[in-house]
Amino acid sequence: MRPAHHHLLRLLIPAAVVLLSQCATTKTKTSTAASKPSVVGTDARDDYDVVEASDPLEGLNRATFSLNDGLYKFVLRPISKGYETITPEPVRHGIDNVFDNIKFPVRFVNSGLQGKFGRAGKEVQKFGVNTIAGFGGLIKQSDRIPSLADVPAEDAGQTLATWGIGHGPYIVLPVLGPSSVRETVGLAGDYALNPINWGFAMKSDARKYAWIPQAANTFRQLPEQLKKYDDARSDAVDPYLAVRSAYYQNSKAAVEQ
Amino acid sequence: MNRRPLLALILLLPMLVRQASASALEAQQRLHGAVDEVLAVADRVADRRALADKLRPVLQRHVSFETMTRRAIGPGWRQFTSDQQRKATQLFTTLVIRTYSNKFTPGERPVITYKTAVAHAAGRVDVPTTLVYKGSHYSVTYRMEQEGGWRIADVVIEGVSMIANYRSQLDAQFKKAGAPAVISSLEQSVARPQ
Repeated sequence: MRPAHHHLLRLLIPAAVVLLSQCATTKTKTSTAASKPSVVGTDARDDYDVVEASDPLEGLNRATFSLNDGLYKFVLRPISKGYETITPEPVRHGIDNVFDNIKFPVRFVNSGLQGKFGRAGKEVQKFGVNTIAGFGGLIKQSDRIPSLADVPAEDAGQTLATWGIGHGPYIVLPVLGPSSVRETVGLAGDYALNPINWGFAMKSDARKYAWIPQAANTFRQLPEQLKKYDDARSDAVDPYLAVRSAYYQNSKAAVEQ
Repeated sequence: MNRRPLLALILLLPMLVRQASASALEAQQRLHGAVDEVLAVADRVADRRALADKLRPVLQRHVSFETMTRRAIGPGWRQFTSDQQRKATQLFTTLVIRTYSNKFTPGERPVITYKTAVAHAAGRVDVPTTLVYKGSHYSVTYRMEQEGGWRIADVVIEGVSMIANYRSQLDAQFKKAGAPAVISSLEQSVARPQ
């Protein structure tokens, strides 16, 4: 879950930096614990492992998790439903594409920072194709070009991972949901790279309207983010563990791409 | 010195590779057939609840639910009595079929592209695919295993393995209070209204 909200993030950044500097000292300990499987398989081909999370704050995290759960159910879901009702699917899709296209610097810079220059080049092509042939990003024309259809999106969390920084403890952020110390720091980096947040750096009257693209971005992400959350949560035996496991597995796969 | 085994290996290698790719192809074809069968059923049935019932026999032919349950429970499985194992398998099967059926939206047809299958070990082939559903791209990898024919043993969506996900939950239940806790937690999940 990463609908960015600037006030919340401003509060979180200093906290995250403190946490990261603390975890830098304990990092070696957690990473050895995470890499050592605690169990053996149930048969010869069983290579699954249950140790995947460092979660020293589990009590607090579970409390935040159930708080978020209530918030999603009673506040965000009605807003999301409202947005889905007043906006037809093709329009929502177009809006998603535009915001996704604008986010180009996040993917471009992070591809570069990870030394994936070929991928950075593909991001430039994608941005060009979608902006020009896709009417400002409204239509994702790059999906029609096989070499550009499945370019994995890079973010700052993955960049930090590539640089050898471990997850650090798992944290469930208020409103934003599952994260780790590393991803929280990454979130702040991506916030600065996303042009929709640049309005606040402007001096003119534009600053007064800088909240509009941000609010729109938060709204348009709700249906998909809530769907992702529901998918990880539904049919779970323990929703907290299900979401945590999905979060770690998904971010591991994203880093490996 | 003793170079004969090495030599034999080098000579046999092309054959082994060919065999591996042959099994990869076989597994992929089996998956292809299974997916087509499922989609044909999903196309016919509009009601979600009915879909789970209609998909059950199809999935039971192509999915190895026994293996899935054993691995989802993890090492604790060995301490289950055979009655408990049977009960757990039955519940987990229902849960998986329901989870899977709920992913379909009536009238929406996914477009699936199969990529090159990878033979990871003897009797195991991973088939990566990309799925375009309702305008979104997903990466979905099917783990196929040889159990008297190729069968699906896990589905990995966007890097998230269904079995690993359940193991993190069920193993915690087992460590808390053993096999009865695992079974009652599965019972609760199955009984939860949709």
